[in-house]
Amino acid sequence: MADKKTMTLNLTDPEMRALEKLSETRDMTKTAVIRQALRLYQLMDTRLARGEKLFFEDELTKEKKEVVVL
Amino acid sequence: MSSRSDVFLQVKATGEYVAASLIDGINEEQVGAAETGWREVFDAELARLKSANVPPERWPQHAHWDWRKKHAVTDGILAYQMLGIECEGQMQGLVLLKTAGVYCRFPDQKGRGLVYVWFLSTAPWNSPTVVTNPRFGQVGTVLLAAAIQVSFDLGFNGRIGLHSLPQSEVWYEKNGMVNLGKDAECHNLRYFEMTPQQAERYLR
Repeated sequence: MADKKTMTLNLTDPEMRALEKLSETRDMTKTAVIRQALRLYQLMDTRLARGEKLFFEDELTKEKKEVVVL
Repeated sequence: MSSRSDVFLQVKATGEYVAASLIDGINEEQVGAAETGWREVFDAELARLKSANVPPERWPQHAHWDWRKKHAVTDGILAYQMLGIECEGQMQGLVLLKTAGVYCRFPDQKGRGLVYVWFLSTAPWNSPTVVTNPRFGQVGTVLLAAAIQVSFDLGFNGRIGLHSLPQSEVWYEKNGMVNLGKDAECHNLRYFEMTPQQAERYLR
């Protein structure tokens, strides 16, 4: 696996609480959650740059709502 | 940036094991060389099957995969990871993983992240569905182990998932994956998962 570099991350209390909650519900370390967030953000960014759109879809009604990204 | 680690493949003719390299982070040149070499063998085999009137459902089901295209679309995106095994100067197998945004369906693990094995292929000269005397064995086994290691590295505790081509279903079951049935949203392919416990056993 690729070598890793270490960084310090400063989070607000709400951010830390959100990170801890995600870590608990997803059964992942906080570091793993951050690494996943980075992957998802970059994926979203790349596909938006290609002209694609990001939607949420209601499972029952199949109604799509676009996630607006500025 | 790619990394290499030592793995072993089995020479089918003798049963002996030979050293090979697992490459994490395949580059354009490597995938191009693999695609060119594999394409020649696949095309020859498909031509032979056509002329022998073998029904299409018995053709190798992954022969049409274009690894060069898959690499072009996913290269540089962290959520995708392509690994390969190089031995005797040739790529003997490739796997493309999705490492973000895919979650377990197995009831015990529902909602937890996993590494999705999107495409996995051994070189055609290693595949018993393509050649009578395959060259190397253990290619799929090593690539599946690599996917599990990526899962551990990302904090998913070894969880992996995949949709299997019909010709590979028995192999995935033999390798300890749970068959969760056909997925109507994915060409009715059977969906398999491996739990953390199964992943630990697989790597032993």
